[in-house]
Amino acid sequence: MLTSNFKVQNPKPLISNRAIFCLLLLAAYSLLSLGCRYDMQDQPRYKAFKKNDFFADNKAMRELPEGTVARGYLRENKAFYQGKKENAGSNNATAATAAVAATTTDASGNTVVTSFPDAIEKNPVPVTQELLDRGEQRYKVFCIVCHGPVGSGDGMVVRRGYPKPPTYHDDRLRGAPDGHFFDVITNGWGKMNSYGSQIPAADRWAIVAYIRALQISQNPNGNVQMTQNNAGNAVNQTTPSNSATTQNQNTGGQNR
Amino acid sequence: MAQLFHRGANNVAKASLVIAVLLGGVAFYVYTQVARSSYLTNQFLEKQQPVQFSHKHHTGDDGIDCRYCHTSVETSYSAGIPPTQTCMNCHNQLWADSPYLEPVRASFRDNKPIEWERVHDLPEYAYFNHSIHVAKGVGCSTCHGQIDNMPAVYQESSLQMEWCLSCHRNPEAFIRPQSEIYNQEWDGNDLTVEQRQQLKADYKIRSTQMLTSCSTCHR
Repeated sequence: MLTSNFKVQNPKPLISNRAIFCLLLLAAYSLLSLGCRYDMQDQPRYKAFKKNDFFADNKAMRELPEGTVARGYLRENKAFYQGKKENAGSNNATAATAAVAATTTDASGNTVVTSFPDAIEKNPVPVTQELLDRGEQRYKVFCIVCHGPVGSGDGMVVRRGYPKPPTYHDDRLRGAPDGHFFDVITNGWGKMNSYGSQIPAADRWAIVAYIRALQISQNPNGNVQMTQNNAGNAVNQTTPSNSATTQNQNTGGQNR
Repeated sequence: MAQLFHRGANNVAKASLVIAVLLGGVAFYVYTQVARSSYLTNQFLEKQQPVQFSHKHHTGDDGIDCRYCHTSVETSYSAGIPPTQTCMNCHNQLWADSPYLEPVRASFRDNKPIEWERVHDLPEYAYFNHSIHVAKGVGCSTCHGQIDNMPAVYQESSLQMEWCLSCHRNPEAFIRPQSEIYNQEWDGNDLTVEQRQQLKADYKIRSTQMLTSCSTCHR
C-alpha cells in the first residue's frame, strides 16, 4: 500500500528481493546446520588410538624411532631397570657368554634356569608393607591368570589349557636371586611373553617382593632358615621377613 | 461491505492461541525425548568388532582383571586399548589355530593394529580423564555397567552432559572404596549414607561448585 501511494518518494518495495533471498539463504543454512553437530564433536586433531591415514600403519600414536632416549628415560640404573649386576655382560664377558645360564628341562617340559650369574641378589627397592601391598595387587592383576593365587602355576588360563608354568615353591626358585624374577617379568621366559610394556619397573620389583612373600607362605618350615640366609645382605633387615609373613597370613586363604 | 470474518472467528482465534501453546509444548517434549534417545546417544548399541572379542568370557568367566589389558586406566586420561601383544600373551598357545583369531594373528604378524570400533565416544569439547575418576572412587561399572555380562560391549550410559552432572552434583551417591573399583558386581546399596559421606571426605572430593564449574570439563 505504502509503496503504491508514495511511488515517487520511495520507489523501492518495503522488502527488497535481495533481502528475501538473504533470508531464504539463512533459513536454508539453519536447517542444514542441524546436521553439523560433528564440527565440535570430532575436531581435526588426534587423540590416543585415533586413526591417521597419513602413516602406513594408520596409527596416529607414533612409536619412538629405535634407539631414541627421551629426556629422563636413560634408565642407566642397571640393577633397577634390568635386575642385572652392574658388570654383567660388559668387561671381559661378551654378550653371548653373559647370557649363558645353566638350564634344564623339568617334568612338564619347561626349560628352566638353574644358575643365575648376572641377576642381582636383592630387590633394590626397600621391602616395606606398602611395597608388598602394591605387589600383591599387581600380582593379582597380571600374574595370577597363569601362576595362580599362591604361585603354584594353576591359574585360570592354565586351567583353560595354557602350558603349566613352573611352581615358585621348589628349591630352585626359592634359591633364585630377586633379579631373576625381575628379568623374567621384564623379558619373558619360555612360553611367557614379556610383561615389560604392561608393568612399570617399580611395580615389577613390588611383584618380586610379593613372590618372595608367597614362597615363604608355602614353606613355613624353611621360613626361619630363609630369613636367616637373607638377613646377611638384605637391604632392609627387619621389615621384609616380618611384613612378608603377616602378608601371607592375610591373603593366603582368601584368594579365589 | 460484507463481513470478512464469520462471528465464530473470535473463538477460533482464541482457540488457536491455546493450540499453538500446546503444539509448542508437544514439540518441545518430542525434541527432548529424541535428543535423549539411543538413536542419537548410541546407548545400548552393540558394535560389530573386527574380532568377536567377548568381555564376558575374558573378565566374567576367566576372571582377568580389567587392568591386565587396560593398563593405563590408573595413570592416564585413556584407559588404554591393549596392543595385539597383550592378546598374544595367552593366544600364542590358546586357540592358536582358531580361524576366529586370524585377524589377531595377522595384526601381530604385520605389526598393524586391529581397528576396533570405538564404543564410548565422548564429544571432543568435553575433557575426560579415567585416572582421576578411578582415584576418587568411581568404579568401572558405575559408568560402563557390568562389562562381565556383555559378550559384545555396548554403551551403558547416555554419556550426555545431564548424565555427567548427575554424579558431579552428587558424587557421594556413586563412589565406592578403592578395593572395590574393579569389582563389577559391586552393589552401591552396601554403603550407608554416613559411610558415603566419610568416603567423600577421605577422597577429598571437591565441592559441587567446583565439580560443576564449566571449565572442569570444558577446558
